[in-house]
Amino acid sequence: MRTVALLIGIGLAACVAAQRPSPAPAQSRSILVKGGMVHVGDGRTFADGAVGFRNGLIDFVGYEYAVKSVYDTVIDAKGMRIYPGFILPDATLGLVEIDAVRATVDQQETGRMEPEVRTLSAYNADSRIIPTVRSNGVLLAQITPRGNVISGTSGIVQLDAWNNDDAVVHADDGIHLNWPVAFARTGWWAERGTTEKEGNAKREKALADIRAFFLRAKAYAALPAPEKIDLRLEAMRGLFMGEKSLYVHADGAREIQEAVLFVREMDVRHMVIVGGQDAWRVADLLRDKKVDVILQRIHSLPQREDEDVDLPYRMPALLKERGVRFCLGYSGDMERMGARNLGFLAGTASTYGLSVEDALRSITLDAAAILGIDDRYGSLEPGKSATLFISTGDALDMRTNMVTEAFIDGRHISMDNRQKALWRQYERRYGR
Amino acid sequence: MHIRSLLPVLLGLWTLSASAQQNVPVNGPHDRAEVLVAFTRATVHTSPGVELTDATVLVRGDRILDVGKRVRIPAGTQVHDLSGLHLWPGLVEPFSNLGVAARERSKIKEPVGANYWNRAITASTQASELYAPDEKREKALRDQGFTTAVVQRMDGIARGTGCAVSLSGREPAQDIFLPLASANFSFSKGSSPDDYPNSLMGAIAVLRQALYDARWYAAGGNKEQSDADLAALGQQLDLPLVFDAGNAENGLRAARIGKEFGLHFILRNTGDAYTRLADILATGSPLIVPLALPDAYDVEDPFDAMEVTLGQLKDWELAPSNPARIAEAGGLFAFTTQGLKNPADMWPALRRMVRNGLDSATAIAALTTVPAALFRMDDQVGTLEPGKRADLIITSKHLLDAENVIHETWVSGKQHVQKPRYLEDPRGTFDLNLRTIILKLRVKGSLEKLEAHVRTPGTDTAWVKAVLKIDGPVVSLWFDNKKLGFSGPVRLNGVIHDRGAIWDGQGQGPAGEWFAWSAIRQRGNGRGDQEIRRAVAVLDSIWSLPAGEVWYPMNAFGTTQLPDTETVIFRNATVWTNGPQGILRNADVCISKGRILAVGPKLDIAELFPKSKTTVPEIDAAGMHLTSGIIDEHSHIAIARGVNEGTQAVTSEVRIGDVIAPDDINIHNALAGGVTAVQQLHGSANPIGGQSSLIKLRWGRGADGLPIQGAQGTIKFALGENVKRSNWGSNDRFPQTRMGVEQVFYDAFHRAKDYATEQALYAALKPKEKAATTPPRRDLELDALVEILAGTRNITCHSYVQSEILMLMHVADSMGFHVNTFTHVLEGYKVARELKRHGAHVSTFSDWWAYKFEVNDAIPYNAAIMQEQGLNVCINSDDAEMGRRLNQEAAKAIKYGGVAPEDAWKMVTLNPAKALHLESRMGSVEPGRDADLVLWNDDPLSIRAKVMMTFIDGARYYDRRRELDQRMLAEAERARITAKMLAAKQAGAAVRKAQRQEPEQWHCETIGDLP
Repeated sequence: MRTVALLIGIGLAACVAAQRPSPAPAQSRSILVKGGMVHVGDGRTFADGAVGFRNGLIDFVGYEYAVKSVYDTVIDAKGMRIYPGFILPDATLGLVEIDAVRATVDQQETGRMEPEVRTLSAYNADSRIIPTVRSNGVLLAQITPRGNVISGTSGIVQLDAWNNDDAVVHADDGIHLNWPVAFARTGWWAERGTTEKEGNAKREKALADIRAFFLRAKAYAALPAPEKIDLRLEAMRGLFMGEKSLYVHADGAREIQEAVLFVREMDVRHMVIVGGQDAWRVADLLRDKKVDVILQRIHSLPQREDEDVDLPYRMPALLKERGVRFCLGYSGDMERMGARNLGFLAGTASTYGLSVEDALRSITLDAAAILGIDDRYGSLEPGKSATLFISTGDALDMRTNMVTEAFIDGRHISMDNRQKALWRQYERRYGR
Repeated sequence: MHIRSLLPVLLGLWTLSASAQQNVPVNGPHDRAEVLVAFTRATVHTSPGVELTDATVLVRGDRILDVGKRVRIPAGTQVHDLSGLHLWPGLVEPFSNLGVAARERSKIKEPVGANYWNRAITASTQASELYAPDEKREKALRDQGFTTAVVQRMDGIARGTGCAVSLSGREPAQDIFLPLASANFSFSKGSSPDDYPNSLMGAIAVLRQALYDARWYAAGGNKEQSDADLAALGQQLDLPLVFDAGNAENGLRAARIGKEFGLHFILRNTGDAYTRLADILATGSPLIVPLALPDAYDVEDPFDAMEVTLGQLKDWELAPSNPARIAEAGGLFAFTTQGLKNPADMWPALRRMVRNGLDSATAIAALTTVPAALFRMDDQVGTLEPGKRADLIITSKHLLDAENVIHETWVSGKQHVQKPRYLEDPRGTFDLNLRTIILKLRVKGSLEKLEAHVRTPGTDTAWVKAVLKIDGPVVSLWFDNKKLGFSGPVRLNGVIHDRGAIWDGQGQGPAGEWFAWSAIRQRGNGRGDQEIRRAVAVLDSIWSLPAGEVWYPMNAFGTTQLPDTETVIFRNATVWTNGPQGILRNADVCISKGRILAVGPKLDIAELFPKSKTTVPEIDAAGMHLTSGIIDEHSHIAIARGVNEGTQAVTSEVRIGDVIAPDDINIHNALAGGVTAVQQLHGSANPIGGQSSLIKLRWGRGADGLPIQGAQGTIKFALGENVKRSNWGSNDRFPQTRMGVEQVFYDAFHRAKDYATEQALYAALKPKEKAATTPPRRDLELDALVEILAGTRNITCHSYVQSEILMLMHVADSMGFHVNTFTHVLEGYKVARELKRHGAHVSTFSDWWAYKFEVNDAIPYNAAIMQEQGLNVCINSDDAEMGRRLNQEAAKAIKYGGVAPEDAWKMVTLNPAKALHLESRMGSVEPGRDADLVLWNDDPLSIRAKVMMTFIDGARYYDRRRELDQRMLAEAERARITAKMLAAKQAGAAVRKAQRQEPEQWHCETIGDLP
């Protein structure tokens, strides 16, 4: 048994100009992280705890004194904290590199109903943004298409990979439907128009189109071997078989209500509301129909001017109180570069009514459960993937989120990134 | 009676003026007889509140000859017996575009003629030259009793002159009786094809510049160039000036321009004057207020109702009280029908206003004498007096009575009949005799919309609908029902006699056979009217329910009581002083008179207030943290209609300070995040943007209550992708490259220097020489640049990459100015030493990057590196949402680069105060500083930190505990008005569908489009 000190950037200084650090090799030596506070992700914690893993899988979680097995490497994390990797749902990491450079934008196909387009075929595992997000503890993400009525098919990846195939954790996990908004606004933003009639007619048409499309898809899915392959309907098939989830992006109470009733009528097995700003207002319906929610970025302003200033901060607690399962999302402006702040959303949720461990759960275990990967990820439990990180302090607080080591499937991944490299480079300019 | 004694004089005048109009050729013999017209036995309302019963009005031609109870009627007079009827002066519409269409938007890029360079300035327009009678709209106004309108071309910012028109339907030359009645202005550029201005602040700037230009033109500029608009503008400013301001805030903006130029505007307002009444009346401006009232919303479904804001609910309830409030506060106003879908809707609206406290004489005055006086035509219209135009209305009842009928409108002595006086009420139940058959006929409904039904008598048979048309005394009626024993339609034509009691005439049966018919009234018309009366009474009772108060501002977080400066001691707080004392534990802070009085452990009240024995309230702050308020160096909140005047490369003439929006909900949001002051910056769409504004977030106060008095002037510059329009817009505006951006600055500052020299030379002239010299033209754009050169206006420059940062510092060094702050400055870490050498402050984001190509090298360690190199580093938001979490953004400086917590905290408080040159007043908790304080439940840099209270100048603008009460108050207010709205809908009031009102959020790059 050999104890190694914490490695901060050792061996990394050599690859200063690295655009992207090299992905880590598979776990060859067994590792025990001991002495820190272990946050399991399911609500439990172990002070002076330990996590052991070998071949990429966790084989011990508990108090340090209970460790029985011998590990090749022991990491002393005394005074630190050990977390399951944060999981980022509803993300566009790797689909867009720079917003303003069109050639780097691959998030929205043209069309209306395009379930057949798959983010995993466009995902750029080499995005320079990814390592910066990883550096704050986000280790898994659901890569999600944007736009249209049906945007396409998402896939779940781990964030340290040589290429797309290497990144996949759960391919083609779900279809994304944008529910038409009920209160269509016309005119431009400074002079609001009022031709709501036109907007309503458009919406009626959109709803009818969705219904017609789903009915066709359902009929098609009943054919085991269709004569002619229809790409769109083929992509929808999994929804009715329970192989794919339907993610309905909707914020308003009316839209959520409509969407839930519609989707249940269509016999789609698993449904998730994405956005869900009014989800707490229709929580009973969501709870009764067992619909999960990926809550929009709670660092948002209230959507209506009369709503309480801190209503978005309190939404997680409101859903928890009302028995709706949810996780936290970060979509919207600056969603890729800002995704490294996911932990701080959970931090805010814990300031506004949620317990700290419940807040953590909303970016770990419950996120995994909603995305359908909780058999492997989301919490530190024996048999699950060793996807975890060590932070010198509370990872939900900006001041103390300092990730020193991280592991994906037991692989000891680099915490370096392009921004740290530039930092080191200019520290040298100033002779430090 | 003195009116009589004037008669011979007026008669003489009238004869002269009548003959002066005889130049219009007549097709056929001339109508030469001058038949006098007398209206007798009427209730004559000569002027608001003055009523003569059984009186006579004598008219000759288009003038009133005499009014009174004992008027002698000469032989040969046409007499109208108006027993039981009322006679009113014709109404005056003060704000109309009747007969004067807007221009088509020109596709021609280049100006035509010797006119102002900007085609939103069309001061040379004269409505009197463009007026084309529009019989349909004239009739619509006349039907409601209007006889005069002041019309203008509603197009552009300076709209030219308006004229007063008599609505008699004659030739324009006869009907336009006052060709120069007004000069007109607005903040809307209308059909102008020019890009500039595309923001409200741009509209204000272009009008101010045009007004200065007009002065210069009159003072000799006309020798240098020809400009019809400037010539006209200079000459029209002593006419009544109408500013089509729109909402209350814009009215105040217009009045500010008026003050600068010594002009007094009549403000056309959208009916929300009550929201800032004291401020508006303090300007002394008369108002033109709409008769149009907001419709109710459809709030039956609570999901729909959720989308109606409390502000909209309150406006619906309070807008009808607007006229009464203005009158009560001593303001002067005229009504306009502008904005009404149908001019006839004015009467129910007026009655609703009367139910809300408006005196009926004041209402009539606002339709007659007030507009007449405002447009200096009270010698001609507005009252029934000898010598005035023969404009009068004949009605069945008082104008404001719900059952009143306007029978006739006489305009310039010409009769227009709406509802014949002799028409008797045809409503009631009749026996309808059709040759051998007798049916029952029932006529009910309102007089405007009669409903007729027939049925067979004596049984319980159902009423069958019949179609009834009444045109004067002639009636036609048809119905078709086989149940009544006919094989097809029965059609009747006849005449109404005997006050509606007997109808008779000829009819045609189903087989085409003709027969005589008659209808004899069996029962009177009482029931139909009763129904209407009941409906009116129900609505009236709803309108009479007590209304809520005006909140400042009108939303769920508004208040009726603005906070006062408090004297208070915070006990046992952890105080982040930002001064030499650092962070004090268990310390007290006392504030008084808006300032911090003392900071330290265990403050003694007796020592602090030796002379008075007042008890000072204490706030137990044990376990809490007290800091100075957050100052956001880069914000775009509380700005009205456009944050960018990005249409030209240099727009230093525009001022954010002109467009402060004090009601923006983001002010409250920011207060709840501990922000007390912000720099409101112009956007980043052009190299030299507009002048910035420094405000404190004094929620609830008007726009004049927000600016930080005595602060230095500021201005926004910008570099890089936005100014070269990399990501939007056309690609033909200079500059398109960073190379071009540099030259824009050189060009601007060379021009500014020449301008300053020219001004100085002129100022140095002897008085005699001055008189002989045309003064140099004042240029608002260059004025601002000269201030920069003089060091009295500080630049905040939007910047990203190192090359452009160095470039601007070189330009500044060589042209002799200084760049105060580089904002964003995401590559500042690359040139920290150079920035330090220039002496610039820096203000950056905590962790934004990768949204544009120029932020590819942005790193979150930027703040830490620049701090290490000795720069004064601020962290800013540029975003309303982040703006309320700046404490969290500051905390990221600890994570990224290991800045000490105290230093990180200064990045959002003391450091921005320094960058804005306000550090002697703000940014630290030290005696003598402004009491801009925030009480936190925890370390302000912690993710667990919540703002408990926010004080500005010692007044509590946010208190977390009070928010709960406020929420309940707002919910109760919402519930009360919703109930009223539901009742109003049930009683027949018009409703509209609710629409979500997303709060506006603006960033640097938001581009507007001014209508």
